[in-house]
Amino acid sequence: MAGKTARKINPQRAAAFARRRLLFSLAVLCALTTPSWAQQDNSVVVMTSYPDNVVSRFEAAFEEANPDIDMQVLWRASGDAMNWLTQDGHAPVDVYWTPSPRSFTRLKAEGKLEQLSPDQRALPATLGATQISDPEGYFVASEVAGYGFAINRASLTEKNLALPTDWSDLVKAEYAGMIGLPVPSAVGYAPVMVDIVLQAYGWDEGWRVWSEIVGNAQLIRQGSTLVSDEVATQRIAIGLSIDFFVASGIANGAAIEFVYPEHGGLNPAHVAILSEGTNRDEANTFVDFILSARGQSLLGHPDIRKLPVRPDVYSSLPAGFHNPFASAAKGGYDYDNDLGQKRILVLTAVFEQMLITSNPEHVRLWQAIHTAEHNGADMSEARILLSQPLISAQRAADPALQKLFATRADEMGIGGRDNSQAAVYEQNWKNEIEARHAAVARLLEAHSK
Amino acid sequence: MTLPEHRRYRSAVSPPKIRTLLFVLVWSVACHAGAQESRTVDDRTRDAYSQPFPTMATADREQFLLGRGIFQRSWVVAPALDTAFDGLGPLHSRLACQSCHQRNGRGLAPANSRQRLQTMLVRLSVTGQGSHGEPLPHPVYGDQLHEEGVPGVMPEGRVSVEWQEHDYTFADGETVSLRRPQLSFNNLAYGNLTGVEASPRVGPPAYGMGLLQTVADSVLIALANDKKSDGVGGVVNEVYDPLQGKMTIGRFGYKASVHSLRGQVTKAMSGDLGISSLHYPQQNCSASQQDCLAAATGGEPEITEEQLDAVAFYLANIAVPAPRDTNTLPVQTGRKIFRDSGCAICHREQLPLPVDYPHAQTIAPYTDLLIHDMGQGLADGGSEYLASPQHWRTAPLWGLGLSSAITESEQYLHDGRARNLTEAILWHGGEAQIARDRFAELPPSEREALLTFLRSL
Repeated sequence: MAGKTARKINPQRAAAFARRRLLFSLAVLCALTTPSWAQQDNSVVVMTSYPDNVVSRFEAAFEEANPDIDMQVLWRASGDAMNWLTQDGHAPVDVYWTPSPRSFTRLKAEGKLEQLSPDQRALPATLGATQISDPEGYFVASEVAGYGFAINRASLTEKNLALPTDWSDLVKAEYAGMIGLPVPSAVGYAPVMVDIVLQAYGWDEGWRVWSEIVGNAQLIRQGSTLVSDEVATQRIAIGLSIDFFVASGIANGAAIEFVYPEHGGLNPAHVAILSEGTNRDEANTFVDFILSARGQSLLGHPDIRKLPVRPDVYSSLPAGFHNPFASAAKGGYDYDNDLGQKRILVLTAVFEQMLITSNPEHVRLWQAIHTAEHNGADMSEARILLSQPLISAQRAADPALQKLFATRADEMGIGGRDNSQAAVYEQNWKNEIEARHAAVARLLEAHSK
Repeated sequence: MTLPEHRRYRSAVSPPKIRTLLFVLVWSVACHAGAQESRTVDDRTRDAYSQPFPTMATADREQFLLGRGIFQRSWVVAPALDTAFDGLGPLHSRLACQSCHQRNGRGLAPANSRQRLQTMLVRLSVTGQGSHGEPLPHPVYGDQLHEEGVPGVMPEGRVSVEWQEHDYTFADGETVSLRRPQLSFNNLAYGNLTGVEASPRVGPPAYGMGLLQTVADSVLIALANDKKSDGVGGVVNEVYDPLQGKMTIGRFGYKASVHSLRGQVTKAMSGDLGISSLHYPQQNCSASQQDCLAAATGGEPEITEEQLDAVAFYLANIAVPAPRDTNTLPVQTGRKIFRDSGCAICHREQLPLPVDYPHAQTIAPYTDLLIHDMGQGLADGGSEYLASPQHWRTAPLWGLGLSSAITESEQYLHDGRARNLTEAILWHGGEAQIARDRFAELPPSEREALLTFLRSL
């Protein structure tokens, strides 16, 4: 370390320094305790992938409420977290607290979680049709996030466009180029969005809706580029997004809006106690805090804006704060996340090959179809070619296929080399899409003559 | 306190040239005050410290957002699958750059001894200076106490902050409570800290830094050599820049001990996060911290030059909030009092930019980027090159008025001791004593007018 290497002392400067030196008020308590990391008394080791602006606020509030407990944060994205927690020889972790439902399901299946107490399981385990907590109580929801549209009203007004209220509104040709789509394979929250539409409209119709939405969309691939940024700066008028990024932007003054569509969907985050942990009491205290009214209220902070899982805290949140319990009571959330979680990796892979890999051509073809239809042509055959799903719903539900992609995700991690059987499927799907694109191009050419 | 004459920065700039530079400065202010608009944003929201320059090109926006992503990203304990961001620690203070610069605003000091140093750090040094004049790190704990360690590495200890308060009463009877921090170290894992000098520092604002970097060294030298009223001096700090491997002029940090924005980023990456880089290649461990030395690393170096480019680009291109309500009578009255009180001698209202800078001719940072003796009341426990414990760089005041809304609390000065602007002014001493006394003697309505002006910035 540069600052800790020995350096020669300049005697003249040292003397001058000594003369100038002030005795800064400093009481040094030389408590030579030598706790080892993770076994320190009154500490709790929390693994999480929440960003620092979330972690810091919970850390401060938790330690304020529990001044005798030291919260030690081990930050890891879900892939790295699973790599840590499922391999031998790692430093023990007491609590896992993160938005990654599949990770909790896997940890439970591998017997790494402790069953939580009845009090910790007392909050609603379902929200509409969405199972937000484990029915057996090995992990419970700590917050939920909804999906919808970030809107720049000024952009819509400029183009004289109506406010979209549901996913199917976005297929209209007039939205071409005005929609921002986070790419599911690159942006962590986006895969669930794919499934929300498929469940809302049914398999075939859902893929048609997606095909046309993507035909109207600009892709947002980088995690560093937030959909809300793009909407606020009017690079796009409508951004498909998870709610908290946008809600936080609005709470902090961004001139944008968020629309929860009629067919909504939720993605829960969870908290669980790991069997390997060495600070069980402190772990329970942390989980209790996360689920408490104080912990849940923190979610309403303008920099966080996630949806609490305690129905009773909504009355104390700012006016206009989305209440998913109220929406669910009106039938707003009939999304089955259990179905979605099983097939989500297959869906992401299919979406990638069908709509992303050859995206420029996909967009070009849809625009050409819209133009041809505007001129009176019947492009129904071309529409079918671009919209037809690559696999059936039954095939997506095949446990063997799901396992293939799950294994690839677990083993490949971030930036790994992909030599899996899953890659073979993807290549075949890619070939199929290229053939369909060629066929659509021929149809368009035939109509243009 | 004044610096020994032989330590004052001397340059090849002759007095006539200095006069010319100062003339150019005044001329620029007079003729081009409006040209800086392309470097400011009219934003009063909590995003006001986070906006790029309005004129940023689309191609640059990608790099800006990439840098923002790295600035906000939490680093991972090595080894990890996420090889682009592994290598946290082994000893560290926080997880991410943004940890100490929430929404690019000021950090906050702990309210009491039970709160940890979330957005504050404590610099450590021992008596003496190194061969370049840099502070001498503690032989075991180094130059900064790290409250966190990766698994298997014991954190160095915990700092408790308690506040000692005393009252100040204006002639009109208004009383202000002033507080100063008293530190204690707990759970020290690597031996005691007897004889150490400690300096608590909150995270400084992260906006407008690119503009401060653009001001030419010659301008600072001219300002330092300019004869000022009220007994104000001011010198440029002469510092060692590890990126260039030579002595140069400092302008970043509370004591202007870092030359460049990139230097500031690499230093903070090493000191605060334990992330090694090309110019800070070593892990954050001293020879006696064996657990630290044995810990896994995230590569050599842990942050690439490309990643540093992006972070430096991001910070260099964050705009400054435009001042607000500038044409209202209270603000104009306050500005006049600000000038008449002598505040603007150091908090320079305008600094010129190089003539070939394409976007603006001047900026309005309200700083001279010089270090000044601020008196015993503000003295900390550390010297950095020419900056004694009493020396501090004139804090830029631009964007000041939005600070409380963005950080959700009002704290000023290097250690967050001032809970409002009045307290901050009253802590001024040394070269600023006369200006501070003028403020203290103002009737309440004029004090409020001055504060109104500051809140408009």
